[in-house]
Amino acid sequence: MIKLLKIEFKKIRTYKVFWILTGLYFVFLAAGILLAEFMINHIVNNVNSRMPIPFPHVAIYYFPDVWQNVAFFASIRYVLIFPAIIMIILITNEFTYKTIRQNVINGMSKTEFLASKLLIILLMAVIMSIVLAAGAFFIGLSHSGLSEVDFFIKGIPFMVGFFISLLCYMVYAFFCGFILRNTGLSIAIFTLYSLIIEPVIYFIFRAPFMFKNTIYTYLPVNSVIRLTEYPAIPMLKKIMGVNLQEHVSLTACLIPIAYSAIMIVTVFLIMKRKDL
Amino acid sequence: MAEPILNVENLSKSFGKIKAVNQLSFEVTKGQVFGILGPNGSGKTTTLSMLLDLIQPDSGSFQWFGQPPSKGSRKRIGSVIESPNFFPYLDAVTNLKIVADIKDKPYNDIADILQAAGLYERRLSKFKTFSFGMRQRLAVASALLGNPEVLILDEPTNGLDPQGIAQIRDIIAMVASRGSTILLASHLLDEVQKICNYVVVLRKGVMLFSGNVKEVLAVSDSIELAASDNQGLATAISEYPGFSSLTESDGIIQVHFSQPADTAAINSFLSQKGIILSHLADKKRSLEQHFLELLQDNK
Repeated sequence: MIKLLKIEFKKIRTYKVFWILTGLYFVFLAAGILLAEFMINHIVNNVNSRMPIPFPHVAIYYFPDVWQNVAFFASIRYVLIFPAIIMIILITNEFTYKTIRQNVINGMSKTEFLASKLLIILLMAVIMSIVLAAGAFFIGLSHSGLSEVDFFIKGIPFMVGFFISLLCYMVYAFFCGFILRNTGLSIAIFTLYSLIIEPVIYFIFRAPFMFKNTIYTYLPVNSVIRLTEYPAIPMLKKIMGVNLQEHVSLTACLIPIAYSAIMIVTVFLIMKRKDL
Repeated sequence: MAEPILNVENLSKSFGKIKAVNQLSFEVTKGQVFGILGPNGSGKTTTLSMLLDLIQPDSGSFQWFGQPPSKGSRKRIGSVIESPNFFPYLDAVTNLKIVADIKDKPYNDIADILQAAGLYERRLSKFKTFSFGMRQRLAVASALLGNPEVLILDEPTNGLDPQGIAQIRDIIAMVASRGSTILLASHLLDEVQKICNYVVVLRKGVMLFSGNVKEVLAVSDSIELAASDNQGLATAISEYPGFSSLTESDGIIQVHFSQPADTAAINSFLSQKGIILSHLADKKRSLEQHFLELLQDNK
């Protein structure tokens, strides 16, 4: 396992495209999270200009809400698409440059090849989740200090939820790249599906606010994105009268995990039969 | 009996209606330089791809080192199949390290191998900056990593300039002299004849011949003769040792021999018989022409 990761690391260590996209991902992620409060308050200001009684400004970076809010903004589809594209490039490169053939010729089994790619997905998801958790921790710390008792416990489910989102979404991307084998085509189809086709399906099958379990709930990309479905904004809680989301539901996690499992099994079966 | 390296039994593979490889069987023993000779599309690469587990055979089987094929056996083989396959954005050393990692070999012979391939100065250049010849040489270099017991080369000199061809052939000769077994696929008869000692000849996936290169690719010489008395000449030459057949056209007799014939010896032989030649010419068929005839005969 360590050996496979060593090989994968050699493949990406000096690969500029990988590091540029990873860098861009973190820039977008940080910008999205740090600008969220400003943008929400901008909307509040706009609304207030037409209201007799002004809404208070929102604060989203306080413990323990910061965990949920960071997880929410990090799993927005426009941000999550970056690690997915990275994964598509890493797998389709192997077909484009026929290095998958060469790896097998040189004595890697087909199973090991797939395992090495899944391991790099796992490692990337772990590292990115840790970076995000650390970021959320420091944002929370700089806004509220360590006064809240449950500041940490409440964070765990949302960070684990984000990890599952990222992991499963990258597995989807890996699956797409493996099936299509062509970098441009895979990125185009994956992006089109994630950013346009599923939202269109949403408009067709959308359920009234807060009602769940429509077909949409079970669509692969949506099930990933909606693990952290709502941000934790105190004002929103007040208006709705209920807290929209207390934690990440385990059953919600099972949907993307099931999709990922099916995809991984399919990839192994195809790899076993198909000629390289 | 020499140690068997590779046993192939009734290997077949079809792509749709086309039988790429049909009931192919052969055996390679240790130390052989084994050629797979055939025109483009005769099933050479398909055969090698099956032997390296890239393509699943429809039927038949093969064994490496007397055992069913596995990733372990592939680690003992260095191979270049079709084009050199490397990451264009990685340098030569990193590409070779990846190969070494997969094969469980140390990195310590990478420098030597790059020297031998004439790429040491460019070892830190990205693969995409390499010329065609350099890419091919790096591919051969990567196949030599960790001193493999078997070297498989698929058209290793394809598209190279004469200098590049000579370099690759030197490398092959060096590897062969170390006692490694070499499996070489080529459509160039000349190449196979220069490098190999055993050969199978393929055409449309079917094996036409196999055996010692000297026997299979033996060139039967012919000599053109003419004299004022062609009938007497024909009778006399049929008594010459090694005579096999003759044909006559336009007053010239073409004589085939089963072994190389020396024109000077024939001349003196005939003059002893009282025949004075008016025409004597050595007609060696080119090797390529012979190869084409070999394939034609089996249509």
